[in-house]
Amino acid sequence: MSAVEAADVSLAYRLTRDRAGTMKEFAINFLKRNVKREEFWAVRDVSFSLNPGEVLGVIGPNGAGKSTLMKMVARVLPPTEGRMVVRGVVAPMIELGAGFNQEMSAYDNIVLYGTLLGRTPSHMRDRVDAISEWAELTDFIDVPIRSYSSGMMARLGFAVATDIEPDVLVVDEVLSVGDTAFQEKSKARIQYLIDTGAAVLFVSHDLATVKQMSNRVLWLDHGRMVMVGDPDEVVDAYARPA
Amino acid sequence: MTSTYVYDSDQPRRPLATELTNLWAYRGLLKLLVTRDLTVRYKRSTLGVWWTLLNPLLTMTVLWIVFSQFFRFDVPGDVPYIVYLLSGILLITFFSQGVIATGSSIVNSASVLSKVYVPAEVFSVAASVAALVNFAISLVPLLAIQLIVGVGIPWTVLLVPIPAFFLLMLVAGLGLLIASAAVYFYDVLDLTAVLTQLVGYLTPTFYPISIVPERFLPLIYANPLYSYLAIFRGFMYEGVFAPTWTFVMMIGSAVIVLLLGVWVFTRSWKNLVVVL
Repeated sequence: MSAVEAADVSLAYRLTRDRAGTMKEFAINFLKRNVKREEFWAVRDVSFSLNPGEVLGVIGPNGAGKSTLMKMVARVLPPTEGRMVVRGVVAPMIELGAGFNQEMSAYDNIVLYGTLLGRTPSHMRDRVDAISEWAELTDFIDVPIRSYSSGMMARLGFAVATDIEPDVLVVDEVLSVGDTAFQEKSKARIQYLIDTGAAVLFVSHDLATVKQMSNRVLWLDHGRMVMVGDPDEVVDAYARPA
Repeated sequence: MTSTYVYDSDQPRRPLATELTNLWAYRGLLKLLVTRDLTVRYKRSTLGVWWTLLNPLLTMTVLWIVFSQFFRFDVPGDVPYIVYLLSGILLITFFSQGVIATGSSIVNSASVLSKVYVPAEVFSVAASVAALVNFAISLVPLLAIQLIVGVGIPWTVLLVPIPAFFLLMLVAGLGLLIASAAVYFYDVLDLTAVLTQLVGYLTPTFYPISIVPERFLPLIYANPLYSYLAIFRGFMYEGVFAPTWTFVMMIGSAVIVLLLGVWVFTRSWKNLVVVL
């Protein structure tokens, strides 16, 4: 059974300028039957399926809808149209450390973040040592997160998200965390998850990495699928000057 | 591989059932969020967690000084004014802080909700429960004062969880309603702060009902919070059951408001994150 199945998924944002800022405006507009429903389709009719252990690279220019698609797989955004099925635990690495609380210690944040991702607090407490050691932050485990650098925070976020042993990993431009040594370590960890059966979706502008890591590549532009298939073919077609 | 979790975007949402299942599945998170609410606030202070107890105690002292010097009412039940006053203030604080915190819970968690999937209602309910826990903690100084001033503690104090539970339902329902609306109209939150204050003054917290002119009495009785407060005071220090109609009012308002809140939330949840 596939880990991720997207069938003609679309997502519409209501543009900010169309949103009534206050209730008064809304009431006036509503009475005038003038509530504008101008929508912006960030993703339109995208379909793919991904098996456990497979890697799908997603490429495309800025504003193509890559991040929105990632958020739909991570079930943060429910599709406006179409159907998305995801089997298993999803680890969204969309913005590392998104669930961190500045005032709390790294220890408490590891527990909180892992719980946000769907693990139990007691399981996370057992994993704290392994996680902080892997992130090379053991010495700073009792320090409030607000005194962390952005690199330290990202490392911690990466360590937690990968430690929960997800069935589906959604990686949005976060492979460039830390120094070269740490990047290698991160890639090795992702490779390990893939080898143990995790399905991975990842967004990157680094085309060499995309070619190297993916089994298939999806090219998005203006929310629509331009091409999907063999990594070399799709990346080459995308990189070719139009 | 844990294949027990299957997410299907086509799965229909059943009001109340879906929320309760989500809350159960995320009970660990719920507990963490409640503790965080209670402790993080005082993280930078020297006394730390002791503030959760110290805060209501100090507030009570201030209220006691102010009200015993400037206002003095003869209150029903033959108890010192301080007990009447504090019991009223505590319950109203639970209500207004709970509604405001729950109402802003979704907007405040926007940064998490837009990056990690967590059912939004978990954040809302955590805010309501945190208000309940704060209320429970603040009962400790009140009980101490009851002993000091010689009112004593009747056995009915064991029944106080009943009005507290129904007030939690009311707070969660109203808060969920406001939280859904606040995503679309931020103004709702400011409005809520004013309205809860108004409701607070319409509830006989610091004045006895006997000073209310007769023509305004229906207004007081129509306010559901009056019923919660009458029941709570009855259990807390009077040792009596409030009139039956107040129980009908309490249970009825809690159930209706909770269902309404869940219904509105169910209708809007799909767009919540998109709008955030």
